Amino acid sequence: MDDPTGGERIKLNVGGKLFETTVSTLRSGGPDSLLSALSNRPAHDPVFIDRDPGIFSTLLSLLRSNRLPSTAKRFSNQELIDEAIYFGIESQLRSALAPTRLNGIDASVFTTVKPSSDGVVSDFNAIESDGSLWVAHGGQITVYDWNLSHTETVRTHLDFITSVRRIHSEIAAVGSLNGSGLHLYNTANGRRVHSAEWVDPSDVRIYKARVHAIADSDDSIFASYNCHHGENCILMLDKSTMRVSSEIGRITGNSSKNMVPTKLKYVPDMGILIGSSVTSGSFGCAGYIRLWDPRTRNVVWETNEPGSGRSSRFGDSFADTDVDVDELSLFKICSKSGDLAMADLRKLSDDPWVYLKEKNPSMSNLGGNGGGNFAVHCYRKQVFVGREGELEVWSRIEGNDENEGVYMYRRNCVDKLEDSERGVIKKIEGGGDRLFVTRENAEGIEVWQSSHNSGVVSVL
Amino acid sequence: MPPFAGSNTSSNGVHRHDSNSNSNIVTIDVGGQIFQTTKQTLSLAGSKSFFSKISNSDSMIPFIDRDPELFSILLSLLRTGNLPSKAKSFNIQDLIFESQFYGIENLLVNSQSNPSQFDAFNLEKSSLLPLNGRDSPTSISTTPYGSLHIAHGSKVTSFDWSLQRKSTILTQFTAIDSLFALSPTIAAAGATDFSGLQILDLEKGFVKETLNWENVTKSGSTVQAISASPDHLFTSFESSRRNSNCIMVYDLNDNLRPVTKIGHYEIYGADLDSAIPSTKLQWVSSHNLLMSSGSHSGPSGVLGNIKFWDIRSGNVVCELKEKVDCFADVTASNVLGGMFKVGVNTGEIFFADLRNMDSDSNSWICLGDGRKVANGKKEGFGCKIESHGNQVFCSKGGNLELWSEVAMNRAERDESDLSERIFRKNLMGRAKDMGGNRITNFHFGGSKMFITRKDQQCVEVWSSVCGF
Repeated sequence: MDDPTGGERIKLNVGGKLFETTVSTLRSGGPDSLLSALSNRPAHDPVFIDRDPGIFSTLLSLLRSNRLPSTAKRFSNQELIDEAIYFGIESQLRSALAPTRLNGIDASVFTTVKPSSDGVVSDFNAIESDGSLWVAHGGQITVYDWNLSHTETVRTHLDFITSVRRIHSEIAAVGSLNGSGLHLYNTANGRRVHSAEWVDPSDVRIYKARVHAIADSDDSIFASYNCHHGENCILMLDKSTMRVSSEIGRITGNSSKNMVPTKLKYVPDMGILIGSSVTSGSFGCAGYIRLWDPRTRNVVWETNEPGSGRSSRFGDSFADTDVDVDELSLFKICSKSGDLAMADLRKLSDDPWVYLKEKNPSMSNLGGNGGGNFAVHCYRKQVFVGREGELEVWSRIEGNDENEGVYMYRRNCVDKLEDSERGVIKKIEGGGDRLFVTRENAEGIEVWQSSHNSGVVSVL
Repeated sequence: MPPFAGSNTSSNGVHRHDSNSNSNIVTIDVGGQIFQTTKQTLSLAGSKSFFSKISNSDSMIPFIDRDPELFSILLSLLRTGNLPSKAKSFNIQDLIFESQFYGIENLLVNSQSNPSQFDAFNLEKSSLLPLNGRDSPTSISTTPYGSLHIAHGSKVTSFDWSLQRKSTILTQFTAIDSLFALSPTIAAAGATDFSGLQILDLEKGFVKETLNWENVTKSGSTVQAISASPDHLFTSFESSRRNSNCIMVYDLNDNLRPVTKIGHYEIYGADLDSAIPSTKLQWVSSHNLLMSSGSHSGPSGVLGNIKFWDIRSGNVVCELKEKVDCFADVTASNVLGGMFKVGVNTGEIFFADLRNMDSDSNSWICLGDGRKVANGKKEGFGCKIESHGNQVFCSKGGNLELWSEVAMNRAERDESDLSERIFRKNLMGRAKDMGGNRITNFHFGGSKMFITRKDQQCVEVWSSVCGF
């Protein structure tokens, strides 16, 4: 910020109240804002703006100090946003309203986002850049913006959407286990823009294939399709032409090693696609992780469990996996022991897993019971794990010797005991500085945030 | 606080408008509002603050592009040293941020969280600070002006002096047993199951330095207790094999350079006494001595020792061996010139005058029921005792006792007659605040007291409540 004593002074009359500030303060909103336009006027009389002076004084404080004063609490976020858009300083307000850096060891439930109908969310996609949320519930897609306020709801032709992903700023890709094909909807006008079915002229059995998972890169969409008889593949669609550009990893699907991938993720830094599938039965879990190069359509690496890996871990196949696309590491959670293991994507081998050690004696009684429901999600160098209803985080310890390649991770509970009683965690995903969690048969999406606010409670 | 500008003011505080005093009056335009004050008032902000620039500037009327309402509060703070009552309608966070901009946060801290405002008789449970996650606090530490650090699990959560802002960092410890705040952003931490004393940066969350005691067996050294004097940091180490212990002294003013090592014991044979490491350290500033205490629970009962060290010579000035009704916890009070312990068997409070200490336990005077027989019960087990100001606080289960000396106006009082001193106790808190889970830690900072309890993931704040 410039020296607040210096600079050209300017007087403003907002709704009858006089304000005096400097040109540099008004221009800090960016060259295109209304305020910097006003600051260029060579007027000696105060510039009159017919807006509410109360909100303006809050926004002026924001420009002066880069911080929202407590007077902002008198107004709703939406009021502030509307007014900030009017004055052209929305970006300042956004950064002031954004939550503090997500720190899993210090997070609490901030709010629960609940769609007004079909409240049980079947899938959602949190956008990393701004923390907005695309939610599939029943046959609808609902979009919540960066402030988590409802933007629009689209009714699709599907009865029950089971996977959703934002493809473009206003385009959502959806798939359903109850209806065939991948469908692209424009959320702004609610229209279906495109559909993609898996067809094979040489094989008549390939019809009515359902989409189980969706991923995307900058220029392509990947969707895993599964036919009734188990045959499956991943179709790659070009984002600009919306044509199927290639068919990857077509397999028959007659055993757990070649089921349809239920999780897909694209790793932009390496240009690879990672798919995984887990089936669980009375015998335990079975599944695979497979890496493809979409250009050559070849499998780069794969692991099957039970089957590969360390013999001491034979009965302990993974229950869920996730990829940290920034740190290029792969995480799995073991179904029997409940242990978390990581593998370096750059150094994959027959048994690349490093099992993270539990060093916290007070945590040893938690988790680790076999046959549980697990969910893993990597976000911002942290690994979030849902065990039944419990939410925990594995965080890297700073100041570690990084040369060893393996970081020291420390396990902590994110939630309190009463939080875990709300139901089994189904999906965890981070977006912006928020962590979103859905639970089985529970309505809405929990929003977890970190805060510098101490949350002091008066008991007087 | 001189509200008057120079000598040429009338007795009612109104400035005479002659040429001399005019030069003392400073006019400032803050966000469009005109304020007038004196150079003297602005100079109270200190030479490094924003205001010293203003009062020295030659421009006609300096303009500050800040909020005028917040400025008027801070100007009142500059003038009187106190916040005006209308400040109550403002958020303290806004005031802190604004005072940081003007460089006068220390004045705000002084007016809001001054240790001189601490009044033990006027303390009541006022608020709770929740901690995220499931770990209960293991140790807490405070700075004199009321910043608070809490170790829970492998994490340390720090609260600023206003208790409005918090931040949490992750450490390499599984649990921190000793935490000592060196500043609002730096703390020393150690554990009885982790080698080395770590100096933690609590803002950025990294280990600034690890201090270790190189013991003879070359095993790790665990930390049993941490304390500090204005110049030195004291750490009680025990080797991981538990066959030697010592107290290391580091220089706080010289990058924690090791100064000396005192009380180094290697354990040979069955000498139990030397095997007891110090589990509590306390600097007794009135005597320039370091008090160290440790106890051991064995089949024959609890044995302990209390030693007073001269740091410069490294010698024990006096030592107390505790065999009958050993302390569960012990503290020294600078103001009261004495030592207080809570007996592990009886659970009673004992007092010993620091002026006439000898090596037998008879110097203890029981302040409660002295006829209680030590019958093998451990009523004092888990009790903590701390002195603060001219009072002594002792936790018993979920309750907190406050012991204070009753001043008796007797001119001919015989100084050596200890039985003349009268101490009385109070149970702290209202009926609804009494009881509850066992108190695990309590600490004092600013005008407040902080309490943690077993299995509770929060910190209780007890503060002196001002009147209307």
